[in-house]
Order: sequence, then structure tokens, then C-alpha cells
Amino acid sequence: MNILVCIKQVPDMESKFKVAASGTWYDNQDLAWRMNEYDEYAVEQAVRLKEQVKDAELTVLCIGSDKVKETMKKALAMGCDRGAHIDDGESWAKEPFEIAGIIAEYAKDKNFDVIFTGMQSQDRGSGQVGVLVAEMLDLPCVSTIVDFAFDGGAIKAKRELEGGVKANVTVQTPALVTCQLGLNTPRYPTLPNIMKAKKKPMESIAVADVLKVDARMETAAMYFPEKKGGGLVLEGEAGDLADKLIAILKDKTSVLK
Amino acid sequence: MEFTREIYWNVGHGAATLVPMYLLVVVAVGVVVWAFIKKREVYRQGLPLERTDQLGSRIGSMLENAVFQKKVTQVKVPGLFHGIFFWGWFILLIGTTLIVIQADFTDLLFGYKFLVGNFYKVFSITLDIAGLASIIFLGALFIRRYFFRPEGLETKRDDAIMHGLMTIILLTGFVIEGSRMAVTELGTPVALWSPVGHLLAQSMAWLGEDALRLVHKLTWWFHLLLVMGFIALIPFTKFRHILTTSVNYIFADRGPKGKLRSLDLEDEDAETFGATSVKELTWKDIFDADACTLCKRCQDRCPAWTTDKPLSPMKVVNQIGEVAYNEPEANLIETLSRDVLWSCTTCRACQEICPASIEHVSKIVDVRRSLVLMEGEFPDEATMAAMEATEVNGNPLGLGYAARGDWAAELGVKTLAEDPEVDVLYFVGCYASFDKRNIAVAKSFIKLCEAAGVKVGILGKEEKCCGEPMRKMGNEYLYQSLAMENVELINGYGIKKIVTTCPHCYNTLEKDYRDFELEAEVESYTVFLERLLKSGSLKIKSEGLECTYHDSCYLGRHNDVYDAPRSLIEAAGGTIREMDKNRAEGFCCSAGGGRIMAEEKIGERINVKRVNMALETGAPTLVSNCPFCLTMFEDGVKGAEAEDKLRPRDIAELLAERL
Repeated sequence: MNILVCIKQVPDMESKFKVAASGTWYDNQDLAWRMNEYDEYAVEQAVRLKEQVKDAELTVLCIGSDKVKETMKKALAMGCDRGAHIDDGESWAKEPFEIAGIIAEYAKDKNFDVIFTGMQSQDRGSGQVGVLVAEMLDLPCVSTIVDFAFDGGAIKAKRELEGGVKANVTVQTPALVTCQLGLNTPRYPTLPNIMKAKKKPMESIAVADVLKVDARMETAAMYFPEKKGGGLVLEGEAGDLADKLIAILKDKTSVLK
Repeated sequence: MEFTREIYWNVGHGAATLVPMYLLVVVAVGVVVWAFIKKREVYRQGLPLERTDQLGSRIGSMLENAVFQKKVTQVKVPGLFHGIFFWGWFILLIGTTLIVIQADFTDLLFGYKFLVGNFYKVFSITLDIAGLASIIFLGALFIRRYFFRPEGLETKRDDAIMHGLMTIILLTGFVIEGSRMAVTELGTPVALWSPVGHLLAQSMAWLGEDALRLVHKLTWWFHLLLVMGFIALIPFTKFRHILTTSVNYIFADRGPKGKLRSLDLEDEDAETFGATSVKELTWKDIFDADACTLCKRCQDRCPAWTTDKPLSPMKVVNQIGEVAYNEPEANLIETLSRDVLWSCTTCRACQEICPASIEHVSKIVDVRRSLVLMEGEFPDEATMAAMEATEVNGNPLGLGYAARGDWAAELGVKTLAEDPEVDVLYFVGCYASFDKRNIAVAKSFIKLCEAAGVKVGILGKEEKCCGEPMRKMGNEYLYQSLAMENVELINGYGIKKIVTTCPHCYNTLEKDYRDFELEAEVESYTVFLERLLKSGSLKIKSEGLECTYHDSCYLGRHNDVYDAPRSLIEAAGGTIREMDKNRAEGFCCSAGGGRIMAEEKIGERINVKRVNMALETGAPTLVSNCPFCLTMFEDGVKGAEAEDKLRPRDIAELLAERL
């Protein structure tokens, strides 16, 4: 079996974000970098699938500058067999269609049976890449999965829908799934696997070789939301609190009128 | 009249006595030697560990603790019972040895006797009293064990054998003396130098000489057999501790206290890290089990055990021994169990009190290393998240690394990147950098330094977690990467002196970081501030304050800093109402050993228990010296519903308020 998992390196969400001088993306200064959370679920599930079917090769793909190799090493330490690094210092500026185009171009002749992606990235959050890759490769796609089982060439997945509703979906491979929180608990790499990861093959591909599509979207501006009224914490005895709350509701809202 | 006695009286000094007697000695000693050669094979299953350096002080420590019973008698009852019993027994051993030397060597070969005259008088009365003391205190130990048995005192066949055998040996010794004296010494002044024997002789005299001689001869041989049995049983019963515990004082860890062995993570040939089997522990870890006397002092003081968690340090030590002897291939993680392994707070209460110099904590950390490094396991998801957060942001709280120095901005404290010319580097630590409650402590410390005219710098966003909680949790890999980065950074600035307000940072920088060649001197803020106070550069107003003081495990037991914090509190006008468990007996706050990152799900909450101890003193303030303790007590007063009765504070806060 041939498996691909696509990951993205994103800033830690606890970082101090600033809008870059360009005004269209965040500034890279003072950021800590890590694997996109949803991609961690994707890597974990891909490794579990590999462990289940045994005879499988698992490739991890990541687009970005040399810096993303650190994040790829974590995926390799978790159990991926080889890395495909699409070398692109400007990946942050690419819109989801271009990113999907790069991945599809890389994957088109490699006969992947299952492709895993996160359901969205924590920084851009378009939620489009996985679905677009499936469309470009003409593969069936199951998005936002929270449960995954593979049996005899078929994937049985559980999708998370709005309002806590779940849907059971069965799809024949080859197929692409996008992974949602709740799918699994990603493993912590063991030390021998961290050591082995350092020696696993890492192929580097120039982005120009795989970027065959044109951008369709342009980011006009990025900005922090305007500061509106903050929250209000009431303190004191229960009786006083109730009085204060009623006063506020009367004063500021129409619910008690 | 000469003050002496005939050795081998009534049993004879010919070959008929000496040959069977020395044959028995050879057999008994042979059994011991043979058994320990076998045991050595068991110990040697473990990894090598150098424990014969500084041999002089090692032997000194053995004499101090084996002969003078220093550690055993630290707990008055039953320590003194054991001590007095032992000293009695030991004097009897010396006395018997003197008899052997005179009768079978100096007298036999050179006709020289020294057990005569005044020396004999002292010899006789000393042995008599030693025998009596031995019997009385062995009896006291017997009564404690069998009639007033403290909870948790495991009592097995070994204990019955030991009590029975030793009691009979002591009693028969007196019967031999009494029957001999009834025939030879009654009515002579010599008898007065054996008061116990004299009393027995008087009560036995009615038997008449023939019967007395028969009783004497039979008892003499019976006594000899029992003593040889006692020697031969040493390897097979808890009697072994006479040898193993004594030797363990020689092999004891000579510090620095609480410094862990660094794993060689660069070793390309290493297939495993940490200990899953006894073969991956050291020989000393196996030997420790043989040195354990099951006195349960560790268990009594273990914060995990006393809050209904499954960890007993004593059981861990002994289970490792059982595995080494009976099923060396067994998986230690399964044998010891995960709940046991994760419960340890590395508070060192077990090791500090252990009268046998056993090292409990490093065993637990070694198996934890295997859980983390080989299995990728943690006590819970919170711990794993904290590890990942530390990898990304250099702190277990998961906050953005770039904000690490933000707390200091308003105080005008510069980072070393801005100005490396400082008197001291304040290694702030994660909690004082990011946790709101502990930022107040960091700010207080800075104010104190400013008031004393000390120029302080911080590392700001360049500082990373010291790695202590991760290391104690078993994550040696993450610890080493943090340590190497911090050391390279600090050495690069050419810093001469570091001060910390966190005892975990202190212990790690001062001891563990030396493996990575940290050059600077490291000091706890309590010691640092006390010196500034004494030298007069720091002036504190003395304003009345009723409080109790909590010795953190890492400043207290790990570093023996007990007085500096107390003298600071007193300088601030504080009166300390001590909790029952203070100083070396201090009770953990629950957060050591990386437990700060984990949730406490089993048994009673340790921090609430400690807060309740503080409440018992009636003091309105609970003073501590550690960010983990402060965090746990802020939480603990809520758990104990005592927020209005007890306020947790750090020493630095008290002092800064009194500038």
C-alpha cells in the first residue's frame, strides 16, 4: 500500500502575532513553529494504517522553506518512512488552489492508495486543500473524519457534521480523507524512532517543478479584528450579583422590557 | 585473688572441643561465602556503576552508620531500641572475639593472657551489661513488632526466626555464665563483676555441681550450634542486612544529592534507553533490595503512599530484588505498574530517612525513562501536552516563548542580549515568567536586588525551561536538549553567578547542568538574600507576621537549605509556627517529579493534605520558597476551603513588602 500524508508547519497559536509589513500575512518574527494540529491527527492515522496493513510505504509531504524539515522530522519520528519536501520559501503567499495543485502534481503518478490531510490549517484555515487535491486527482474525498477503519480495500469513516451529528461513510480506495480533532491521540515519538528519523530519506523538490496551476485568489489585507467591548466579570455575593445582572440586562438589553 | 576466669571451663580445651567447634565455624562461614558468591551473580546482572571512589570517606560513613548506628537512631523509637540492642550484641561479639584470641592464639601459642586483673573486671561487667541490654531491647523490639505493631510493618517468617534465634542465643549465654559461676565463682569477689551472671548463679546453685556441670556443657554446645546457625542463616534471612546494609553505606550515593545519571543519547549502539528490565538498572539497584530491612520509614513518609496512592518506595525496592532473583527477564513496568511509577514526586523523603542508604528515586526515574523514551507514554494527556508545549515554546505552560521576559519590562530589567554586564543572572524559570501568581515573586525578587544595589539581568525570551520536570518524568531527551541550549547560552555570556527563585531550577543548574559544563556559580535566592541582609546591603523592616513555613523538597532535602529561609522570615519580623512535618521531614506539595504537569487522580490530594497541616498551626500565612509549592498551595487552600484562613506567600514577597 502506498500512503501519503500532507502536513503544514504553522506558528504556535500562543505566539504573539503581528501583521507583516506587506499587510497580507503575519510577521514571522518571534514565532514558535510546530505541526498543524489537524495534520498531527492525519500523520497518526496514516501511521496506524501502515502498522495495520504492514506492507506499506508512507510518505510525508510538506511545502515550505528549509525550516519545515524540523516539522517533517517529527512526522518521520512518528512513523512515516520518507519525506517529500517541496522547497518553497514563499509558500505562505500561495492560496489553497496553488497548494493543492502542487500536491496533486506531486501525487498524480505515484498511485497513492490513501491520502491523509488535516481538515484545515491553524493559520490560514481555508479548509480547501485536501478537498481540492482529491478533486484534481479525481479521487473520492471524505472530509472532517473523526473515526477511521480500513478493511479489504474499503475505508469506513465517521464524519463530524454540524451540531454533533455524525455520518458513517464507506469509500473504496484510492481515496482522500481530511482529519478532524477527535480522530485519535497522536503518539509521542520514541527516542529510537527520533534517532531513526534522522536517517530516513528526505527528497527535496523545487516548487517550480510541481507548481503548474495559477492562483485564483489574492489576499487583499490581513488585520486584527477591531476591539469591541470586552467581557465583564461581576464579583461579589450571589444576591448582589443577581441585582447587578438585572440592572445590566435592563439597562443594556431589551430582554427585560 | 586473681580476677580472671578459666576459658573453656568444663567443656575442655582439647581437640575434642576445638575440632568440632572450628569445623562448625568453617561450615557456617563457608555457607555465607558461598551464598554471597551466588548473590554476586544476581547483582552483576545490573549495569556497572562506580561506587568505590573516595574509599576513605565511604568507609568512614560505614563505621558511622553501622557501628554508631547514626541513620538508624534518627528515628528515636524504634531506632534507639535497635541501636542499644545492636551495641549490646556488638560488644558481645567483641568480647567473644577477645576470648577466642586469648584462648586459641595468644595463650595457646605464647602463654600470654590479657583477660586478667582490672581489664578482666571491665571486660566482665561490660559484657554482662551488654547482654542484659541486648535482651531487654530485643524484647522491646519484639513487643513492638508482635503486640503493638505499627501499620505497614511487614512481619514474616524471617522476623520470627530472627527474634527466636537471637533471644535464645542471649538467654543460653546467660545460662552458661550462670551455671559456670554457680560452681566456680559464688562467694568470690570475681562474681560481683558479672552482676547478671551472679544473680543467675545464685538462683541455680541449688542444682548442685554435677547437674550444673551437665547443664553448662549441654547449653554451651547448644549455644555454639545456635550461633553457627545464626551465621549460616545470614544470607537466607533478613539477617543479611548485617552485612548488606553495612556494605551499602560504603556503596552509597555520595551526591551531589538528587543529581541524576545522564544518559548517553549520542550512543549509536544503544538499543534501549532507561530500564525495562533489571539488566538495565545498575548492580546497586539490585543490591539495594538486599540492603533493605523493611523498616518502612520510607513508606511512612511517602507523600504518594500516605495519600492512598499505590506507590510504596519500600515495595518498589523489594520488587526489583524479587525480579532480579526470581524472574530476571520480567518487565519492570508491568511488575511495578504504571500508577506506582507515575505517582512519585521525587520528594526524596524516602532516601533522606532510609537507614540503609538505599536510592529509591533514581530507580523510578530509570523506569520512567523507559516508559517515555521507549514507549512514548506519559501519566496523562496533560503531561504529554506539557512536553510538546515545552518542545515548541520552551515552557510546559505552552505560552509563547517570545513573551517570556514581558513581566520584567515595567521594572526596567534588561536582558543579557541588551546588556551582558551584570552582577548576577536571574534564571527566572517558567512559572515566575508566565504564571501570574509567580510573576509577583519574580518582581519582588527584582525589587529586593535593586534595593540592595545588585545589578540583575535576565535571559528573557532566550531562556528555556531548565528541563527539570521533564527529566524527572523520564524525558531525558527533551531535558538534554533544553540543558544544552541553556548552558551554551549562559556560558556564551560569560556569566559568573546565577540566582534562581525556583529550587527545581536551582538543583538542576547547580548539579545536573555540570554534566554539560555550566561554568557559573549557582545560588538559591534565599541564601543570596540572606547574605545581602547580613552584609547590610539589604535592609528589611521588621513587621510582625504570624506564619508557618514549608520547606520545599528541592531546597530542603535536596540541598539542606533550612536555616537561610527561616532567618529571612525572622528578619522580616515573622514568627514561625512550625508544622509537625518540617525540615528534612517536610511533606511534599505534590508538584515535584514533573507531577506539576500531570493531574492527580488517585487518592487524596497531596497539596490539600499539606494545606491542612499548615492550617493546624493556626497561622494565617503559609510561606514557601518554590513556584510549584506556591501554585499547589493556592490551589490547595481552595481545595481545603480555607481561602479566608490561610494565605500562601513566597519569602521574596514578604521581604519586598518590608523594604
